[in-house]
Amino acid sequence: MSRRSAIGLATIATLALAWYLATMPLEWISPGRFPSPLDVWLALQQVTLKGYANGLLYQHIWHSLKLVVLGFLVAAGTGVPLGLLMGWSARAEALINPVFLLIRPIPPLAWIPLAILWLGLGDSAKIMVIWFAAFVPSVINSFTGVRSIEPSVIEAARMLGTPRGRLVREILFPAAAPMIFTGLRLSLQASWTTLVAAELVGAIYGLGKILNVAQTDLYPGMIFVGMTCVAIFGWATTRLLAAIETRSLAWTQLAEALP
Amino acid sequence: MSALRLQTLSRAEAAALGAVGLLSFFAIWSFLSLSGLVPHQFLPAPYEVAARFGRLLLAPFAGATLPEHLASSALRFAYGFVLGAVVGIPLGLLMGWFRVLDEIVSPAFDALRFIAPIAWVPFAALWFGTGIGGPILIIFAGAFPPCLINAYRGARFVPRPLIEAAQMLGTSNLRIIVEVLLPASTASIVAGLRVSAGLGWQSLIGAELIVASTGVGFMMVQAQLDASTPTVMSAMVAIGLVGLAIDVALRALEAAVRRRGLA
Amino acid sequence: MAAITFDAVQKVFARNGTGVVAVERIDLVIADKEFVAIVGPSGCGKTTCLRMVAGFEFPSSGAVSVDGRRVAGPGPDRAVVFQQFALFPWKTVHDNIGLGLRNKGVAREARESRIARAIELMNLQGYETAFPHQLSGGMQQRVAIARAYVLDPDVLLMDEPFGALDAQTRVTMQEELVRLARLNPRTVLFITHSVEEAVYLADRVVVMSRRPGRVKEVIDVRSVRAAEKWDRIERIEDVMDHESFIHWRTHIWRSLREEKSGQEI
Repeated sequence: MSRRSAIGLATIATLALAWYLATMPLEWISPGRFPSPLDVWLALQQVTLKGYANGLLYQHIWHSLKLVVLGFLVAAGTGVPLGLLMGWSARAEALINPVFLLIRPIPPLAWIPLAILWLGLGDSAKIMVIWFAAFVPSVINSFTGVRSIEPSVIEAARMLGTPRGRLVREILFPAAAPMIFTGLRLSLQASWTTLVAAELVGAIYGLGKILNVAQTDLYPGMIFVGMTCVAIFGWATTRLLAAIETRSLAWTQLAEALP
Repeated sequence: MSALRLQTLSRAEAAALGAVGLLSFFAIWSFLSLSGLVPHQFLPAPYEVAARFGRLLLAPFAGATLPEHLASSALRFAYGFVLGAVVGIPLGLLMGWFRVLDEIVSPAFDALRFIAPIAWVPFAALWFGTGIGGPILIIFAGAFPPCLINAYRGARFVPRPLIEAAQMLGTSNLRIIVEVLLPASTASIVAGLRVSAGLGWQSLIGAELIVASTGVGFMMVQAQLDASTPTVMSAMVAIGLVGLAIDVALRALEAAVRRRGLA
Repeated sequence: MAAITFDAVQKVFARNGTGVVAVERIDLVIADKEFVAIVGPSGCGKTTCLRMVAGFEFPSSGAVSVDGRRVAGPGPDRAVVFQQFALFPWKTVHDNIGLGLRNKGVAREARESRIARAIELMNLQGYETAFPHQLSGGMQQRVAIARAYVLDPDVLLMDEPFGALDAQTRVTMQEELVRLARLNPRTVLFITHSVEEAVYLADRVVVMSRRPGRVKEVIDVRSVRAAEKWDRIERIEDVMDHESFIHWRTHIWRSLREEKSGQEI
């Protein structure tokens, strides 16, 4: 085991121990403020086996996960092509940019009340908000990706008589791919943040719903469970995207993994 | 390498296209709203939103006028953002320099980083009720990571020769951090501040949607409960404007740093 | 067959509202299968001239023609070898070389054999499945040359192709290019900063004035080379020992120095 992993593990173990001690035997932290390991365990059992906030844990997880992935794909599916178009065509950029600049400063979470007004508390409202949140980073990074392509690479492609379709598929897209993936990473992050927030404000199922109800119930153990789930699945989806990125960008010389 | 430019548009042409884009946007909006294709209650016309915005500048809604709500929000933001920077930047620099510190803090940081700042709201509510501590915690959760990461990266990737030169000159650790790492990381740190401000402002709005009794996010929620779309949209515009102002200010800072040759 | 003609060509770039004259006036005719090198001080517009033949830029006045037809845009009939290689980092060596053939619609079997021949020609055997970043600069430029050659272009345009290589690799590549030019002659327009390179490689050397660029003089190396049989001499250091080589090199150097003396360092 490397030194770094060993120290990391030791730190986490120490923190875990401190947590246990502070909340249980020593009671430095009152249970109303922060849950003890036992509280968390009990809450976990409850939500997994008996259910909480209208559902079992796996149902909530599945619901949130579904919405994040769907929202992310819609946002990426619309954002990346638009960014590529704006990067490639100065005309498209000139036409679309001002509107984009107008909408962009509005934080994605600020769309939540409007989304609720328009679509209620159901899934479509969530997808709409996720779309707004995740759309922007994909556009911007795809745009930058195209703009930072070395001009001589495009010139070489044109010199070789590459037709339009092939140019986009085999030249533009791979060349912009590293930045596109940066955008995707940001989009995924934004998707999670927005979903949790949207579910916190109002939802029927989901991890945010668990947090919401736990907050009203003053149930720290359950809050902890909810947050941990958010962290775990956020991490898992990020790692999945990173794996796809590594496979797709095998041809690059990325010297260090980006967090 | 200069940026890729396939067609060079004259400034006039670019401006013209931009105007077309903007006007089309407002035209379509107005059309959808006034023709009734979208129920008017859901989509007020642009001028209605502008009128409401004007009114909110003077007349109170949900307890205060728009500027007063904004001031409330801005204050919370300032506290949280400054706290995030003041804790994150020095810690990042130290972690970039002291490997041991990096090894201790990083695992915990990496674990906590994946928790969306907004997910801290329940605990914030539990601990601080509707007091100012709650939003500050959430803003901190959003603003802290970029400050830390960028300071860390800046310190770690200072060119080796600079550090070796400093060591050769017998510079103490503290002095190296303050007089070599910090200046060399300035560009990265300022970039981090920009991201941090954006995330912090976002997190604030999110927090105010859930646990606040004043502030522009709170105002939006009240407007939504009242089904008052023009007010909701006015609040969105206000939020966007403030966010933009913050970003412009930090971008100017970035440019100033670059001009000073620190980048 | 193919020849390149510059007919009263002028190129002006618009920069911040004012016009910068990159090339003031070029009149030049390059015969079919002739190897012409252009040397000149920095900023004299020699790269611009090449780019106009390539079709990446267009003259502000006058005409650039290839084989009697005005240049309308880039294409595989005028293959370009770039200074920065401009290989596609996500494609293997094989695919980099093959893209132009695929664009032309060459059938797979014919394509594969042509690629194989180009690889053999440029000594790239064994590297077909490698990616550009796995290769040294010299090898990458070989791939770029292979990519150009495989198209069997009428015109080969080389924009300081060896400028990014270290000195020794550069010499190796120059000798290779001479070998190639003998095996496979075609019209070549070669831009370089190096006078030795120009005199060693070219049939004629065009010396350009400093900006705004004009043709200062044209030196015919070919007649000297034929008379003294440099062609038979393989190694560049042997060629560079010849008095006539030294004479022409010094002459061009002096000519360039005259141009440079007006410039700031």
